[in-house]
Amino acid sequence: MTLNDLKLRVRALLRPNRIEQELDEELAFHIEREAGKLIDEGMTPAEARERARARFGSTALAADRCRDERGTAVVDNTIRDVQYALRTFAKAPLAAFTIVITVAIGLGVVAVVFTVFNTLLFRVDQVPDIGEMYAVERTQTANGDPSPMTRPMFDAMRADTHVFTDVYATVPEIDLHVNGRRMAITLVTGKFFQAVRVNPVIGRALMPADDARSGGNAVMVLSYKGWDRHFNRDPNVLGRTVLVNGTPFEVIGVTAAGFRGLEVGGPDAWAPLSQLGQFRPADRGREDAVGVEIVGRVRPGVSKNNARAQLAAWDSNQSADTVDRRTTTLDLLPRRGTVPQRERLEAVAVFAPLFVAFGLILLIGCANVANLLLARGVARQREIGIRLSLGASRRRIVRQLMTESVLLALAAAAGGYLISRLALVGAVYWALPMMPVDIGDINVSVPATDWRVAVFLVAAAVAATGFFALMPALHATAIDPVRTLRGELVKDARPGRARNALIGVQVFASALLLICAAIFLRSALAAARFDPGLRTADTVLIDIDSEPKRAAMIQAVKSDATISAYAAVRPQFLAPLRVAFADVGAGKTPVVFKAVSGSYFDVLGIPIVRGRAFMPWERDHHPVTIVSESVARALWPNGSGVGETFRLEPDSGVQRPGGVLTINPDAAADDGLVQARMVTVVGVVRDVAGFRITDVKEAGVFLPTGLDVAKTSIVARVQGDPSLARQALLDRLTKVDPNMGMIITMRTVARLETFFLQIAFWVSLMLGGLALLLTVSGLFSVLSYLVEQRTREIGVRMALGASAHAVTRLMLAQTTRPVMAGLIAGTGLAVALATAVLATPAGALISQIVHVTDPVAYLTSLGVIVAACLLAAWIPAARAAKIDPMRTLRQE
Amino acid sequence: MARTPDLLPGTLDLLILRTLQKDALHGWAVSERIQQISQDVLEINQGSLYPALHRLEHQGWIEAEWKVSELGRRAKYYHLTASGRRQLAVEAREWERMANAIGRVMKLA
Repeated sequence: MTLNDLKLRVRALLRPNRIEQELDEELAFHIEREAGKLIDEGMTPAEARERARARFGSTALAADRCRDERGTAVVDNTIRDVQYALRTFAKAPLAAFTIVITVAIGLGVVAVVFTVFNTLLFRVDQVPDIGEMYAVERTQTANGDPSPMTRPMFDAMRADTHVFTDVYATVPEIDLHVNGRRMAITLVTGKFFQAVRVNPVIGRALMPADDARSGGNAVMVLSYKGWDRHFNRDPNVLGRTVLVNGTPFEVIGVTAAGFRGLEVGGPDAWAPLSQLGQFRPADRGREDAVGVEIVGRVRPGVSKNNARAQLAAWDSNQSADTVDRRTTTLDLLPRRGTVPQRERLEAVAVFAPLFVAFGLILLIGCANVANLLLARGVARQREIGIRLSLGASRRRIVRQLMTESVLLALAAAAGGYLISRLALVGAVYWALPMMPVDIGDINVSVPATDWRVAVFLVAAAVAATGFFALMPALHATAIDPVRTLRGELVKDARPGRARNALIGVQVFASALLLICAAIFLRSALAAARFDPGLRTADTVLIDIDSEPKRAAMIQAVKSDATISAYAAVRPQFLAPLRVAFADVGAGKTPVVFKAVSGSYFDVLGIPIVRGRAFMPWERDHHPVTIVSESVARALWPNGSGVGETFRLEPDSGVQRPGGVLTINPDAAADDGLVQARMVTVVGVVRDVAGFRITDVKEAGVFLPTGLDVAKTSIVARVQGDPSLARQALLDRLTKVDPNMGMIITMRTVARLETFFLQIAFWVSLMLGGLALLLTVSGLFSVLSYLVEQRTREIGVRMALGASAHAVTRLMLAQTTRPVMAGLIAGTGLAVALATAVLATPAGALISQIVHVTDPVAYLTSLGVIVAACLLAAWIPAARAAKIDPMRTLRQE
Repeated sequence: MARTPDLLPGTLDLLILRTLQKDALHGWAVSERIQQISQDVLEINQGSLYPALHRLEHQGWIEAEWKVSELGRRAKYYHLTASGRRQLAVEAREWERMANAIGRVMKLA
């Protein structure tokens, strides 16, 4: 591009009117001069002018080509197209509005999923030069899990290697219970804030001195989230304290909102790792054996491979004397505060179906819009025909139509953004409190948007445009200008096949989503009717976390007016149980066992079928036992069980949790092994079905214990509303021990069974309803349009003797095939998916909870779709039947 | 009227530049001049003439000026620039070479 060229282009851009005027004048002069010549040759002026014009050909086309040479044509044309498009929208605002809203809804729901996905996978933490941050990990070996790294290893690594500029060790996700609310604490060594290069916005960072192994400070730095959740953003928070198992920890700083400490969720606060014993009394005295994560900032100029080699060399020197460590090597994994690479696949696997489900709405919306545009394209054939015959190229007109669509898509992207924000904020602020209150205290904030969401929205909008706009545009321009000018609609341009395909796609998507909704609803209803075999209406679970406070806690529970009965249970009710072997002389039978006090069965309403409950004097080591009916049947097929004896032998195994969800992740398996001994059965209790999603199963063998025994938890029956009672208990008991564990009502545990099914139901119902609504409105508008377009034909038919009934049937028949095809495809895919789910390893468990092949669900949803489609088709079809043949024929 | 033979690609630019070598002319005069000199063998398609003029103007080989024409109303006159002259020399030489080469082949092959 020369300077001259640039000058001319800039002039053309700045003074478009002047340039246009000059171009017109130049071409007009040519024709006039030509005419002048012809007059000189003896033609009449009128004849000469016509001849000159004919010889020149289309001035519009020549002008257009001149504009192309000018190089500003793209800009010119775009401005022209935009102006033209805006005029078109102004003429039919309702159509434009419908298109924008429809696509915006589709984009909005997809953007919701993408925002969450983005937060988990792509939104790196706000840490300077985050590319330098790596976690040191032991790689998996053939021998099983690698041994964890420890604080002494970390100290040695820091002293011996020079791979990192700064490096820290961390123990993340320690749950602290502060006044009944969960506070997530991450313990870090002193150089944490130095390594991530983040400074608190209020107060100061943790210093190496705070983390001194002896004489460290009981201090913590709050994250913005922790400051918000636990201190209501108190500006004078510095100096306030958090009680941690009896020791006050002083707040010395608050970090900025975006910083998550290189974790996905981010903690509420960071505290020195040397204070581990305060946070986990169980680890007091064995701090050096606790596993830590090591994260560091690799020195600039040191490559990842080089760093890894140095660390591996150091590691093999370290472990030269210990044989088992030779099998492990160290690896460096990028640490960005996003889901680690190893788990990305799982995250994608979780999100892919969501994207598909939410994307279906977008698809249906686009199909609707495409149908609308197809119809409008036919309506605009005359306009397009005129433009074609005036010399506009087909490319220009397609471009013009595409410009209109891109404008609509951009407006829809903006609308989609608004909808996604509303939906996310609504979900967090409205739906979260609906979760059972005991577990609703989850660290969730509204996922933030960033440039990736913006790029995604625009890209999705453009892709959607390609789908919904290009095809109608091509259809609309594939016409014969001469015939359209005459008012004849060309038969080929009636895009019946495309329209049918679009209706089919819509019905297909609605069917899929509604079948899902129906399956979830039916499953939720079935789950609500499911009887766990336990008293859930008025019972609560109370954990005792710190043993020194046990006596005071028990006293508080005993004297509490709302508690009418209580019992001891060990391990915690929601924890996995240990396996032991029962031996009656005919081989060992594996059984799961737990220890309970005498009133346990009464509190939970588990009937004692034969024999009796434990007596108050029957405590730990007392050789008595109570077994479930199924265990009694297995051990003594012919006897009643009561009075029999068997030998109970411990096993190190733990009953593997098979549930989808763990309510109380703190509840580790009790490590107290039962001593091998002979026990006498004093009672047999009814089998308890337990809970399926959370996989809380009742034991088969019960041993006696009491509340004053360490590690037992409380099961209590309360009076009045259990949620209110729970809150009151929480208030009273946190006064005794501010760091006490969870109090969960049994009703919450039971509700969890249906809670997730209900969420799935509402989400799929919302999507399915949206899908059906869009489909029905699309069907309605398409049929209405068809009736209008075929008014003349229908009039002729009726004049020739067709009955109103026959006309209605004719119009209905238009939609039967695409609707049926969509229904069959949707149902087929649903069945295929269900079969695929059943074939997975988790299939058996899932099918117990979610009835994926429930025929009632399938039939109901299909019935709803058919009814809705019939209704949508009926109104225009009935209108067609009312056409007065005389009047339509007279109009011709 | 004899059918206008298709111009070889690129020759239109050459013809225009050559026509403008002496005087400044407006678009109609350019096409008229080419037609006359070629004794009606070359008839310029008007639809391509103006785009070509605009293209050459953008390349800086010709410049436009509004002047009063022989009809008494103003018209856009084009004239060669210095770089246009150089371009004409280059293209003319290239054409000569080409024409000679084709001539030799036609005679001897």
